[in-house]
Amino acid sequence: MASFASACRLSVRLSAKQLRQDATSRGFRTSARSLAAQNFTMPALSPTMTEGNIASWKFKEGDSFSAGDVLLEIETDKASMDVEAQDDGILAKIIQGDGSKGLKVGTRIGVLAEPGDDLSTLEIPADAGPAAAPPAPKEESKAAPEPASSSKAEASKPSSPVPSGTPKKQTYPLLPSVQHLIHEHGLDESAIDKMTPTGPNNRLLKGDVLAYLGSISTSYPAELSSRIEKLSHLDLSNIKIAPPAPKPAKAAPPPAAAAATAPIIEDLEVAVPISLTAVIEVQKRIQSTLGVFLPLSTFIARATALANSNLPRSKTSPPSADELFNQVLGLDKATRAKGFKGNFLPQISALPARSSPDPTKKASTAPAKKKKDLDIIDILSGTTKTQQARAAAAPKPLPGISDSVNVFSVKVPRGDEKRAQLFLDRVKTALEAEPGRLVL
Amino acid sequence: MLRSLSVPRAAVRSAFKQSSSLPKVVAPSAIARLSKRSYATEAEERDLVIIGGGVAGYVAAIKAGQEGLKVTCIEKRGTLGGTCLNVGCIPSKALLNNSHLYHQILHDTKNRGIEVGDVKLNLEQLMKSKDTAVAGLTKGVEFLFKKNNVEYIKGTGSFVNEHEIKVNLSEGGERSVVGKNIIIATGSEATPFPGLEVDEKRIVTSTGALALEKVPESMVVIGGGIIGLEMGSVWSRLGAKVTVVEYLGQIGGPGMDSEISKSAQKILKKQGIDFKLNTKVLGGDVSGDKIKLEVEAAKGGKNETLEAEVVLVAIGRRPYTAGLGLENIGLETDERGRLVIDSEYRTKIPHIRVVGDCTFGPMLAHKAEEEAVAVVEYIKKGYGHVNYGAIPSVMYTHPEVAWVGQNEQELKAAGVKYKIGTFPFSANSRAKTNLDTEGMVKMIVDAETDRILGIHIIGPGAGEMIAEGTLAIEYGASSEDIGRTSHAHPTLSEAFKEAAMNCYSSAIHF
Repeated sequence: MASFASACRLSVRLSAKQLRQDATSRGFRTSARSLAAQNFTMPALSPTMTEGNIASWKFKEGDSFSAGDVLLEIETDKASMDVEAQDDGILAKIIQGDGSKGLKVGTRIGVLAEPGDDLSTLEIPADAGPAAAPPAPKEESKAAPEPASSSKAEASKPSSPVPSGTPKKQTYPLLPSVQHLIHEHGLDESAIDKMTPTGPNNRLLKGDVLAYLGSISTSYPAELSSRIEKLSHLDLSNIKIAPPAPKPAKAAPPPAAAAATAPIIEDLEVAVPISLTAVIEVQKRIQSTLGVFLPLSTFIARATALANSNLPRSKTSPPSADELFNQVLGLDKATRAKGFKGNFLPQISALPARSSPDPTKKASTAPAKKKKDLDIIDILSGTTKTQQARAAAAPKPLPGISDSVNVFSVKVPRGDEKRAQLFLDRVKTALEAEPGRLVL
Repeated sequence: MLRSLSVPRAAVRSAFKQSSSLPKVVAPSAIARLSKRSYATEAEERDLVIIGGGVAGYVAAIKAGQEGLKVTCIEKRGTLGGTCLNVGCIPSKALLNNSHLYHQILHDTKNRGIEVGDVKLNLEQLMKSKDTAVAGLTKGVEFLFKKNNVEYIKGTGSFVNEHEIKVNLSEGGERSVVGKNIIIATGSEATPFPGLEVDEKRIVTSTGALALEKVPESMVVIGGGIIGLEMGSVWSRLGAKVTVVEYLGQIGGPGMDSEISKSAQKILKKQGIDFKLNTKVLGGDVSGDKIKLEVEAAKGGKNETLEAEVVLVAIGRRPYTAGLGLENIGLETDERGRLVIDSEYRTKIPHIRVVGDCTFGPMLAHKAEEEAVAVVEYIKKGYGHVNYGAIPSVMYTHPEVAWVGQNEQELKAAGVKYKIGTFPFSANSRAKTNLDTEGMVKMIVDAETDRILGIHIIGPGAGEMIAEGTLAIEYGASSEDIGRTSHAHPTLSEAFKEAAMNCYSSAIHF
């Protein structure tokens, strides 16, 4: 029995601690001061315990106790156990005396105060126990409308709110009506946290203060709120289904739908073969006449810049608000003459020289396919030197450039192929026709 | 022990999450995927397909676009905005505002010291200015579609199966759209009057009443609800002799507070509109030059014949779901044609949801708008919210009538103890200076807690003022909360504050 009791003692401590933690986590308690008075509720001494009897209190009202003292003895149908105090304090009030039977877990059985509290001015916190609604208002109406002077005295040591139940700390500014009532009745700031809010999102309403003050029934604000809450939903009760219309016999059509395939958002590659013969010729000429060596990259960079200017707008770039509105008004065609700057950067890879350069541009849809094509050409032309060069060419533009025909390619999102094609054609013209003008 | 407990709990939670998100990501069934090759035109699957580009549909589409969903909106009218923008709220407000100006110049400005010479009505221009407003706004919505990447299909959509919608394109041809989620927002249409065939020339609904080619000499409005009174006001101001025939004992519909309704009737009567309440229309004869309407007093049983050049049928609106192919997917409507939904707007097929006029609740554009946002939030985030207890109603006659919450007769019937605070605009400084002093603010609060239960306003600018009342109800305010909040002077809103003060103590200026 003794060992059992000590095991229980442990669990009592634990549950008391949990209560306290619960209270702190809810933000009820912000300082040690506010621990002044605290409801002492029927503890659960085992996970299955729902109610118990008080055998006897070991302290009288007004007695001080220290941590570890046995406060009272509780009986359940299985055993009787001691309940220990976990902190020093004063037993301010015994609410359920010796021999009280059938007390539900969580029912207020007493009130504990901090050591040194003056019990004569101590405010007894409102009961928040499960079965506590009826006795509460009487006490509250007694305790609340105190003269303003005494409430001022208390202001220095606000009492603690109950650790469980419906009252909730108000985190928003109080409504003007609430503030007014509180001042009018000389209520303490801490009293606010003891009121049960019934407004939307636990907002404290004027009615809640009136109920706390006892001027209206305590349960009424909640009743009103639930009535108003009902109005806030669509009434979907009593729906009378219309009789089915005479419908064509078509019972549950099989889902023969064409399911959508996910759109493939892949980039396309647009490629154009461009011969650099003219560029190299100009390069040589410049070197021989001016003595300046201009690298190929300069030509290509300038051709790219030239081709990038004044392109048609990209189909994938989001239009501006003005453009959208003009489009809706049908003005887009008239005002869309202006060119847009592109930001293409071509990838260059070498292509073996052929006897007759293919005049048709080639736009391949997949890199793999392009490679395959090139392989065939390689085989046909029988060159191996450029083939090796090309393999390394893809990521970096310059190293793999051949002297004659190179493939310039850009990757674009679907829908932008034409724009890319135009860009590459311009690069081609610039590099093949008059490369000298790019640098001179 | 604790640890071992917590693991299954987490597992349960994640399982729950998955199941709760099911409706969002349900893909068309595997069977559908298998048989896709048999279809000639293959449709891309969209995250959300919305049928209807009215207020409910377009707001849902824009919201979904903002939430990053791939959304398609199908609208058959040719312009977006639905009834509200095209043939409802917006054009009627254009006519109401301009006809009020005209009426004021004819009858009122002289008293104010403004004498206008020859005043002429140019109806054609009046209609044109209305059309400009409408066109601007519908184009604005189209612009917002583009801005938020909403695909807009002009055509008539109908269900092929639970995921696929066939669209008869307005420009000819057909295409099919597949949606993971589908919102039905097909709205409502004017309820026709049995026995009177609407031709929108002589027998008109609100649509035809917005586009009459000339001011009729006389007009009978069947139905004294908001639409009937607004359109009746327009044509009465422009010179028609208007008679309103209402079956019920009060105008403004059942939601309007009786006291306010009586007051509105008195004011409108002074403006020249005749009322026949408790009167039933038996039938009509359109063969003659003028339409003859047979009416009967509902109680007395006295018969009478009314003659009118134009008859406006405004007895209410009904959900519009024709041609939607509901029978192909087995969706049900209730007796009044409303699509059956649950509290998250789902039909019995969970990925198909319904918002706006074609389902339950008041047929109001702003209610549809709230629902549209909530339904997209349900699809995307699993939670949405509409507070049906705080949806305002406004009648845009002059003076306007606006209310939110419950009215006095409803509270009386429910047996709630209430207190009333009123304040007349005749005691409001701004109304006085405006020489526009008809009407009052009436606030109804709970007798015990002072919490506001309903606010009813008749008076200038009531429609704007009701926003404050709606906010108060949304926040659970008491009349004292309003009475202790500063309202600018001199404004009409001071009447609102004084009515609140009149609830919990007394108004200062009355």
